[in-house]
Amino acid sequence: MNGTWYYVFTLVFFLFDYFILAMGLNIQYGETGILNFAYIGFVAIGAYVTGVMSLPNSAGTGQYYILGLSLPFPVNLLVGGLTASAFAVVVALIALRRLRTDYLAMVLISLSLVLYDVCNNYVPLFNGADGLYNVPEPFAGVLHLNTNSFIPFFAGVTGVIALLMWWVMSRVTRSPAGRTFRAIRDDDVVAAALGKDVFRQQLKSMIIGSFYAGIGGGLIMQFSGSFNPTAWLPGETFVVFAVILVGGVGNNIGLLVGALVVETLLVHLPAFLPAIPGHPGLIEYMDAAVIGILLMAMLWFRPQGLVSERVHKAASMGARERLNTGATLTLDEEAAALAHATGKPEA
Amino acid sequence: MQLFWLSVGFGLVTASVLAVSAVGLSLQFGITNYINFAYGDFMALGAYFSYALNNELLHLNIWVATVCGSVGMGLFAVLVNHFILAPFARRFRKTFYVLIVTFGLSLVLLNLEYSIWGADVRFFNMPMDRAHHLGPILLTNAQLIVMGIAVLLMLGVHTLLKTTRLGKSMRAMSDNTSLAMTSGIDTKRITTITWFLSGTLAGLSGTVLGITEGNLTPAAGELFLFVIFAAVIVGGVGSIYGAMAGALLIGLATEISAAYINPAYKLDIAFVILILTLLVRPSGLFARPGKA
Repeated sequence: MNGTWYYVFTLVFFLFDYFILAMGLNIQYGETGILNFAYIGFVAIGAYVTGVMSLPNSAGTGQYYILGLSLPFPVNLLVGGLTASAFAVVVALIALRRLRTDYLAMVLISLSLVLYDVCNNYVPLFNGADGLYNVPEPFAGVLHLNTNSFIPFFAGVTGVIALLMWWVMSRVTRSPAGRTFRAIRDDDVVAAALGKDVFRQQLKSMIIGSFYAGIGGGLIMQFSGSFNPTAWLPGETFVVFAVILVGGVGNNIGLLVGALVVETLLVHLPAFLPAIPGHPGLIEYMDAAVIGILLMAMLWFRPQGLVSERVHKAASMGARERLNTGATLTLDEEAAALAHATGKPEA
Repeated sequence: MQLFWLSVGFGLVTASVLAVSAVGLSLQFGITNYINFAYGDFMALGAYFSYALNNELLHLNIWVATVCGSVGMGLFAVLVNHFILAPFARRFRKTFYVLIVTFGLSLVLLNLEYSIWGADVRFFNMPMDRAHHLGPILLTNAQLIVMGIAVLLMLGVHTLLKTTRLGKSMRAMSDNTSLAMTSGIDTKRITTITWFLSGTLAGLSGTVLGITEGNLTPAAGELFLFVIFAAVIVGGVGSIYGAMAGALLIGLATEISAAYINPAYKLDIAFVILILTLLVRPSGLFARPGKA
């Protein structure tokens, strides 16, 4: 297999992986309105835990890390996802219950930096600044894959996982819980007034989203076989935000488009450009600055993203009639009916 | 015990840097009501402005370069507000948009610094320094000057807010923007002045951070940002005096703890204090009503 295909499958892998990451952040921010600026921290937890679950005991490996259970794929991946979710519960109990938007964002971005600091400095946890490496490639032994054939194979595995997780996510967003999330995003006071336990719903959304973050992180660990703190500087959270804002908030297909544009075309493709002589890293720096500028332009000219959120028609269709017949209404419908009945425009 | 007093000295220096930066962040937050996540990069950029004047362009004395670089950063902040942040804040009612724009701005500025100055550690061109014994505390000339600057600035901000017409307008706007506007205060002008002050304080604190740490990298401001957040939240968001008190508390706590634990984690102590504050008194020590 030649180099071009190697690059193409690497891009395919990152496309699917960031699709998963974007779905996780989208349910937190896009559906529920939680500004999770620590998102990349949850990704890192998933990655590290997946790594230490599949690595053998650290004695004799030249690395220092906890556990080392030699668990097979995908058990290690699932443990990684669940650990990220468990961490989300702790974070939500401390921060989410007490703070509103900006304060929450400040605390979360601080959390992201502190997590980074601790993982970077405390070597016995995840091998410090060197990070984990030589993580076993899943199925490589069973299927006799070498380094070249592993890449397309694992890009395919990630594609299947992404499709599965997309199916699950579209079930979640269409469920009553998904509608409650959107109601909280649009106005948490109204949602609370209608009897919804806002914190409980936000907690649910954090747990689901962080599971996606953990899985996405674990897949990166398995794909590249290594992971270290430079991969998850707090600014990386912004790349995931860029994916969902460019693609379209609250729209799963849009997220795939966003992942294609931001992650594949803007983040990874320029890495294959030849370096400018005498200026190491200049292309990466310029690239990151361009992503920032593009995102601001996007927010200004097309705030709904490339693919707009679908209008949830059930919200307005015949809600009033069904209210009169005593049918059970969703939150959106209740709000619409209430607005209709009181003659006030929907806020 | 000597170690303890030495770390108290370092703590006072860190507290001075923190106080200047935290007051700059709080002033702007009080007026515009959103957090500037690019503040850490404002600090680093201001420090690089001073560095350029000190080492690359005019070879100015370090303190002259500090003042010029900081004022340059203040002007830069006014431009950023005028062309980027203010239009977004006017157009979108939800704070999220402008928050994410400041986040994007932080990415742009950080990588601009990397593109221009590279990732290498830079050093200011400083005169030879001497250490002085003040009782049990040991401080260099530069550290004493930094502390002096911080004390003067805090007094200056206090005088500005309490006695001048401009300061009164700022406090009025911070309490209630629409009411201030209907009372005839030119809110746009106040916002511009506030951005200038905030940018200048960011540039100044970034430069003195580089001076006290002895080196300068583009990421220095961002790594310091969460310590500022800790000081601001512990003090009570939006409260200027809270920011000063928070800075003193966090500055002393981080440096004194460094004498007893691995110094690599000293800044994380700030986060621990932040979490404890959230658990015990979520609105901060000097909370203003309606802001938390």
